Amino acid sequence: MSGKLRVGISEFRVARAPAVLIAYGLGSCLGVILDDRQRCLGGMAHTLLPTPWSGVQEVRPAKFVDAAIRLMVDELISLGAVRGSLTARLVGGANMFEPLYAPSDDSIGARNVRTARATLLALEIPVLAENVGGSHGRTVEFDLATGQVLVRSVHGGDTILAG
Amino acid sequence: MTFNRLSEVQLDALKEVSNIGMGHAATALSQLIGETIYLRVPRVTVTDIAQVPELIGGAERVVAGVTLRILGDARGNILLVFPRESAQRLLACLLRQDEAGAVLSEIGVSTLKEVGNILASAYLNALGSLLHLTLIPSVPMLAYDMAGAVVDYVLIELSQAGDLALMVETEFHGITPGAEGIKGHFFLLPDPATLDFILDAVGGAP
Repeated sequence: MSGKLRVGISEFRVARAPAVLIAYGLGSCLGVILDDRQRCLGGMAHTLLPTPWSGVQEVRPAKFVDAAIRLMVDELISLGAVRGSLTARLVGGANMFEPLYAPSDDSIGARNVRTARATLLALEIPVLAENVGGSHGRTVEFDLATGQVLVRSVHGGDTILAG
Repeated sequence: MTFNRLSEVQLDALKEVSNIGMGHAATALSQLIGETIYLRVPRVTVTDIAQVPELIGGAERVVAGVTLRILGDARGNILLVFPRESAQRLLACLLRQDEAGAVLSEIGVSTLKEVGNILASAYLNALGSLLHLTLIPSVPMLAYDMAGAVVDYVLIELSQAGDLALMVETEFHGITPGAEGIKGHFFLLPDPATLDFILDAVGGAP
């Protein structure tokens, strides 16, 4: 793994070019990518759930879509990113076991995606591209040097997400 | 009960119960494919949720995963994971040659689900009668994809309550270990609230 920085479950990472951030095997999990292209500075979060259950003291806030995005924005800004030039891309949020869980807009994956859109809207960060939903897994790779986001899947091959 | 407070005695009790349950499941599988199936003694581990994809060979490895909810007196999930080659070999054993090619064919999917159903039912039956619990498997679901994506649905359910998973894991294989047999991982992932219940029934004092 030639220096790719791995973003595990419930984690987020920020980095500068020429780093490459990668999250393997996203199913219902949602990968959130933030990018300040001018400064070649960005981050990736590998989130599991939309928001915490109320009253639960959370030790790993990056597990949650909303908290992970906010933490990542703060950290990027502290590293010199400019709020107004941040953009986002979303990958994952599938429903791996489709048939049984009938209304698919109620699945965890779909709720993760909706939460991310709402949080990003509230923070006024535009979502440039999405590769979400469906019922297949995805590996996502974010090259800070070029800003390119590559999505790999087992059945559908590789896709490059516009940025 | 939180998973990280389980004592050695409790872990042993879970291991023993699972060993018996898995024995029944392996017998069912070997009757199904007409080949002796060997089992490794189950490992009972308390592991960080984030590590689970690694335990089945890495998040990007292609696997066939069959998952069932456990319903009845206890709640949780059962997850059966077959590496791609093993899923194909399993289908080759069970289906006519011209049908066995693709894991994702309609008959392939339905066969693997049925295998999952048989294994899980055998396991839950044994567990239930040992512990005097009624345990019912749900309809099986199948995903054939990256391991990380296949397991994260189950992990998400667990992660609502914490960051640890109690995992009862075993591997089974055909006649010669190491040779091109059928390998699989069997995971029992009880919901945290259910674990107390199982431990009570096992009689493992904390």
